[in-house]
Amino acid sequence: MAQYSAQLDGVFVALADPTRRAVVRRLGHGPASVGDLAREFPMTLPSFMKHVRTLESNGLIRTLKSGRVRTCVLNRERLALVDDWLAEQRRIWEERTDRLEQFVTDPEENNR
Amino acid sequence: MNPDLDLVLERVIRAPRATVWRAWTDPSRLERWWVPAPSRCRVDRLDPRPGGAFVTRLSDGGAAFAPHLDACFLAVDELERLVFTNAITSTWRPANPDPVAMTATVTLDDHPDGTAYRILVRHGDPEARARHEKLGFADGWGTVTAQLAALAEGTVTP
Repeated sequence: MAQYSAQLDGVFVALADPTRRAVVRRLGHGPASVGDLAREFPMTLPSFMKHVRTLESNGLIRTLKSGRVRTCVLNRERLALVDDWLAEQRRIWEERTDRLEQFVTDPEENNR
Repeated sequence: MNPDLDLVLERVIRAPRATVWRAWTDPSRLERWWVPAPSRCRVDRLDPRPGGAFVTRLSDGGAAFAPHLDACFLAVDELERLVFTNAITSTWRPANPDPVAMTATVTLDDHPDGTAYRILVRHGDPEARARHEKLGFADGWGTVTAQLAALAEGTVTP
């Protein structure tokens, strides 16, 4: 569980930046080269590479070098980690709201 | 709202706003719905005002009550809004709750059928912490202290 938490932490770090989230969304449509991705963002290549490295070191993407082209591929399993966790949080809050609703609409509870 | 990390829940609750508000702000009521049965909840502190404590404990299967939530209210507008976070404990100590910090905003509005109830949970942005680590936060303070000491000892001309 602690390890899971550390992994999740890394994923949250990686997703805490709008550029990196945009890259993740873009790679959701399929792999792309660093060069092509970088052109979509208004920043220098070194700055963009930092984002790529953050995504890679937190396991959200893999990069493969072929000749002079580095291709980025989305690691869906790692993204699923966040989805699973968020789904779990959603379930907790949904059920909590169910219980609240049940509680406040129970006449016996509220006339005490 | 960041759709990747936040969650929103909206619902109409068929009860007056005041009743929903009381269920949130009265400890003996909150205890009755805060955690799923058969777990039991005990509210240690519930002080619904900005900076106020929100501390709950949880008991599973009749075991001793263990820490559950240790949070702090950020904003409280009577009958309208409650905002609390576990990024700061009830004693205002910065915390690192597992797996990430969250800030929950509970909003109540009038609705023909009762109460329009909305929850927004914002999940942590550990970016700041990561940045601290990257910059070598401890080193940074060490450097500042060394500079200050050097300055105080007159080895540096400002």
